Amino acid sequence: MRTEVRRAAVWDLPVRASHWLLAVLIPFSWWSATNDHLPWHRLSGYTILGLLVFRLVWGFIGSPTARFGQFLRGPRGVMAYLGGKAAPVVGHNPLGGWSVVAMLAVLAGQVGLGLFSVDEDSIEAGPLSKFVSFDASRAIAHLHAQLFLVLLGLIGLHVAAIAVYGLRRKNLVGPMVSGAATLAEGAEARPLAPAWRVLPAAALAAAAAWFVAHGLRL
Amino acid sequence: MSRFKDYGPLLVAGVVLIAGGSVAAGLTGAEAAKARLDHMKGQGAAMKAIGEQLKSGAPDMGVVKVQAAKLEASSKELTTWFPAGSGQSAYAKSKALPVIWTEPAKFAEKASALPPAAAKLNAAAQVGDAAAVGPAFKAVAAACKGCHESFEAKDKT
Repeated sequence: MRTEVRRAAVWDLPVRASHWLLAVLIPFSWWSATNDHLPWHRLSGYTILGLLVFRLVWGFIGSPTARFGQFLRGPRGVMAYLGGKAAPVVGHNPLGGWSVVAMLAVLAGQVGLGLFSVDEDSIEAGPLSKFVSFDASRAIAHLHAQLFLVLLGLIGLHVAAIAVYGLRRKNLVGPMVSGAATLAEGAEARPLAPAWRVLPAAALAAAAAWFVAHGLRL
Repeated sequence: MSRFKDYGPLLVAGVVLIAGGSVAAGLTGAEAAKARLDHMKGQGAAMKAIGEQLKSGAPDMGVVKVQAAKLEASSKELTTWFPAGSGQSAYAKSKALPVIWTEPAKFAEKASALPPAAAKLNAAAQVGDAAAVGPAFKAVAAACKGCHESFEAKDKT
């Protein structure tokens, strides 16, 4: 008899929503900066900041597939996976897991730099630019522009990886939209986190974004 | 158009200096360009300081007075910072576009918007007119932008 196809809920809604919101907000941030809509750019950046804080908290209290402790492996775990010797995985494999961390870290750096940036007339200024000198703020603004290229590179690798999986008949986009995926043989899905846990994560995220946007003044 | 009457002579002087002026006091084109960048950074820093006070909710008018005075003094010299031969070909980091010297009258017109705006801001700051400082600051920002959008190279992003 053919083996049964087992499908289960793998990605919870907060992970999926965070992912697709970032996929929209990052291009919007780029577009708004390039076309001189700096107030929109700042709003987009604050939203990304909130999403990053949310995702960080959710990475500790969310569903198993959302938790950093679940999908991050040390060097031996990565080598075992690459050698085909690892146990079947539900959610991010070790390579995917570290690529998530890399993208989130660079994105956090990008947001951080933006907060301290100022344009040359000091008309458009990040909310934390008041803590540094004009020269420092200008240097940070240039770094903010350069780091974007690194982020773009990581996103390019991410999209390329998804495409390669697609060519190998493994659709990873569908599960990130619907949340449901086909389980590999021997893999077991675990229950998703209860919905109420979104509330503390979202509250922390909103508070952080609001506080930063107001220049760390209450 | 009384503003033009007050600043007409400045405008003419600006055109003359930009179109025909040789580099001042033995400065090379590159040195003039670098000095100009330093002046512009100084103006940007003054704008940053004033803007931060205005955003703080409790502006320190002492800081605003000092910075607004610096800005007015600096703005009066602006047209002397663009001698012929001090563009991007002399100094690669310069963002001064060639059109400054090919259309000096247009440039002088835009550049001459800054001194009166900076003077108005400083006047409001010196008498401590906090209500007038806000709009005056926005007018200075508009003057900076008005010149930059046509005559300054965009940052490569």
